[in-house]
Amino acid sequence: MVGPTTSLTPLSRADGSASYQCPATGANILGSVNAPIELPGRRDALKPEDATVEVFIKPGTAPGGVGERYVEGIIKSMLGRLVLGREKSYARRGIVVTLAIVGGESKPRGDSYLTVLPALLQTSLLALLSASVPLSMTFSATVLGVNTLGEIIREPAPTDAAAATSLHVLAFSSKGHLLLNESRGSFDFDTWERIRQRALTICHGTLSGSPDGDVAMVEDVDGQPLEGVVRETVEDKYHQDYAWKIDAA
Amino acid sequence: MASAAAPAAQSAPPSLSLPPSQFARLQPHAYLLAHLSPPATSNQPSIRANGRAPSQFRITSANTGSLTHTNGSAVVRVGDTTAVCGVRAELLPTEDIASWSVSRSAAATTNKRRKLTDPTQKLTEEIGDESDLDADADDQSHIEDLNLLVPNLSLSTGCAPGFIPGAPPSSLAQSLSHQILALLHTTRLVRAEDLRVWYQPPNLGAEDLERHNESEQMDVDAEEAGEKDKEIKAFWVLYIDVMIVSLAGNPFDAAWASVLAALRDTKLPRAWWDIDNEMVVCSDAVSESHKLTLRGMPVASSFCVFEADAAAGWRAVIIPDAEEERQIEESNRKGVQRRWILADPDGYEEGLTQERACIVVDKKQGGKGKLVIVKMEKNGGWALDSEELRKLVDISAKRWEDVRQVIGQC
Amino acid sequence: MSSPLILLPGDSVPSEYLPSSNSSAPLRLGPGLRLLSQPPSSSSSKTSTGHVLAATQSGILTTDPKRNAVSLLSTPNRRYVPTSNDLVIAQVHHSSPDYFHCLITPQTPQVVLGQLSFEGATKKTRPMLKQGDLVYARVLSTGLGAGAEVELTCVNPATGRAEPGGLGPLTGGMVFDVSTGMAARLMRASSSSAENQESVDGLVVLDELGKKLEKVGGFEIAVGRNGKVWVDCANGGDSAIKATVAIGRCLSAIDEHTLSLADQKKLVTRVLREMKIET
Repeated sequence: MVGPTTSLTPLSRADGSASYQCPATGANILGSVNAPIELPGRRDALKPEDATVEVFIKPGTAPGGVGERYVEGIIKSMLGRLVLGREKSYARRGIVVTLAIVGGESKPRGDSYLTVLPALLQTSLLALLSASVPLSMTFSATVLGVNTLGEIIREPAPTDAAAATSLHVLAFSSKGHLLLNESRGSFDFDTWERIRQRALTICHGTLSGSPDGDVAMVEDVDGQPLEGVVRETVEDKYHQDYAWKIDAA
Repeated sequence: MASAAAPAAQSAPPSLSLPPSQFARLQPHAYLLAHLSPPATSNQPSIRANGRAPSQFRITSANTGSLTHTNGSAVVRVGDTTAVCGVRAELLPTEDIASWSVSRSAAATTNKRRKLTDPTQKLTEEIGDESDLDADADDQSHIEDLNLLVPNLSLSTGCAPGFIPGAPPSSLAQSLSHQILALLHTTRLVRAEDLRVWYQPPNLGAEDLERHNESEQMDVDAEEAGEKDKEIKAFWVLYIDVMIVSLAGNPFDAAWASVLAALRDTKLPRAWWDIDNEMVVCSDAVSESHKLTLRGMPVASSFCVFEADAAAGWRAVIIPDAEEERQIEESNRKGVQRRWILADPDGYEEGLTQERACIVVDKKQGGKGKLVIVKMEKNGGWALDSEELRKLVDISAKRWEDVRQVIGQC
Repeated sequence: MSSPLILLPGDSVPSEYLPSSNSSAPLRLGPGLRLLSQPPSSSSSKTSTGHVLAATQSGILTTDPKRNAVSLLSTPNRRYVPTSNDLVIAQVHHSSPDYFHCLITPQTPQVVLGQLSFEGATKKTRPMLKQGDLVYARVLSTGLGAGAEVELTCVNPATGRAEPGGLGPLTGGMVFDVSTGMAARLMRASSSSAENQESVDGLVVLDELGKKLEKVGGFEIAVGRNGKVWVDCANGGDSAIKATVAIGRCLSAIDEHTLSLADQKKLVTRVLREMKIET
């Protein structure tokens, strides 16, 4: 399984940015975060002690439409729970997340957007990390499809997704909570439980609890867990940025 | 005036207690929490501020056919949330579809491919309405490719405070429109066959051959021997307009129920290709019109999660990880409850909660068949996991029965 | 610390990484870390104190045993956000009766610099700055709330005198853009006198340039936290411009590529040779 390609802080003018490419679904996302910034026309009566998260999605080949508004809403409410909007200098300010889908085919009207959603979520997380926005925890997200034979396909390509009987996007926090679930198609609850188990494995790896309570990430058929991809991306960037410091010490 | 007011104030010292309506406005979170967790001594059941039990839905009523100028219409009331839906049908002649000849040949080839994979599909076909699942798989692409279903939702001015006239569609209205469209596509509620206007040319031999020479898809048509003469001359396009007249929380359930009821009510007039005038004409006889035959009856149920500790998200408390969460939940089973899952939230409750879930379920064969989940969403928090979602699916199944009765009666 | 500990939001700081608390001073927490209390109902009683240090940003955990402090080094190259007491290089945009309106970062609201906040400035003797002039100043206040103005000053408001560091108008010379992370490193490297500091911040370029450029008369440098470096070789005569450009090239090259100390020295030699500056 070819893992995603990521890079942290590719843009120099934004506070934080990230790019994320998922070879399986073909999604290629460039994201930027600006925070904290003053929002124009902000009604202060609305949650005066909290930061506002705004999400904008720019499709690759067409102007944005109702589908983008919907996905923006999903991402916004999910990030809104993770961002610590009351930290110093964040209250009343805005956190603006802009996610651009680079290239790709244009989505038909009413498309569920589910195949790109995990990539959008992962990009927004990396961009938030790059902008040093305070977060309570991190997360990882994946998309799974169930084909007509009842098999689970990980990160289906657009053609497989179109043929699947159901599509599921799940996001797990770094502490194992189910943060987001978006399921479409027709399925029963037992199928969903199988999906959830598989998605947890993809995000966190096979959990092997050691006696002292530590949870080690073990690679299996699903390759490197996505949680590890995020961590590795961040660690690589820090090793690169602070090479002078780390090498000297 | 002043002298008259002064003795009155003296005689009745200013009371420190607030009437409930003011308390509800000043401390909304504490107000709802006090209702949900009454003191153990008071022996009161835990109910919501609106008098409902946590998993109780609001009273739902539906009325169809109230708008006479539409092909189908419905008004659905869920508590104080009211949605009006009207369905208008318009004819789309295939001559007006720019890519019609191209897309038709493409559809024919996909059809062929599907037939090859038939045996494998048969294995897993307990899910849907078997026979048509396969046969209509390719014509479903007609609905999606040609946009034969056009839903639009508007939150009308004044449906709730904050909706001012002249404002562009809010992102809530846009995302609800998208959700309705996506759900219409994933449930494949409307059959493409109902929307087609066919033309069977009389068997005139020579003229028939000539037409085939003109068109380039002769080889394609020849493959489908039985239907080679039949031709689609036009499609019905259904404009499904939903208007939320009054918004008191949970717009999606009401909007979707109104779409469902309106589509069940929709009658399309008989239309045929008039060869002499070269146009599609409709009959104005009501007796000749036909109703849409819908696939199943998916019903949406929305939930929200109310947290006892409103500040849990940001206060300096560690968020327990999922494993600890489960243990806490176990130990708290008897003791103090931390969170409540509220079904069908009203506007007041929606303002106090962040985590939402929406489950759309359907039962096949008119309620006797297996329960099928069509859409399951949760977002905005970490309280709902598989255990809770399983319970919500059960609640949604009960809700399905209720809504079926309500919609079935009208 | 051969392999630094890199934390992500939500990770807790392992207790063995905390500085040993033999000093009486309380543990100081830097940005990106907070002290969290375990929820009281938690069944796990592994941590007896009930408190954990957790990260809210990603970063490298650094400890300072002397100050008994622990902090998180986060992404170095961010957009500059003014904080009080930062030294910045501002460019005058226009002036009003009381203030010079200056730019410190592109596409952000202008900051103000009082007409009289220069050393010994009175109504009569204040510097007459024109549009485009450069000022080396300190951030006095950043204000609160929406629309707050950032105010700069070139004097210590308590004493009315210029502080050591050469605050005031910058005449001549040239400004180079560097990343904010590089600017912070340069400031630390140039403010420290001891040689051992250079190994910590890994910058030897300024010392090396100083040695090599003695023949052309040395150079002046001012580093702004807003990612601007001003360089001037006023005594350089003919090769002044060449030397200025050479310094700018060295700085941006080191900013873009991470260079070791030896490479930095090599770079300085190579750039000076390419620019045909006698050393």
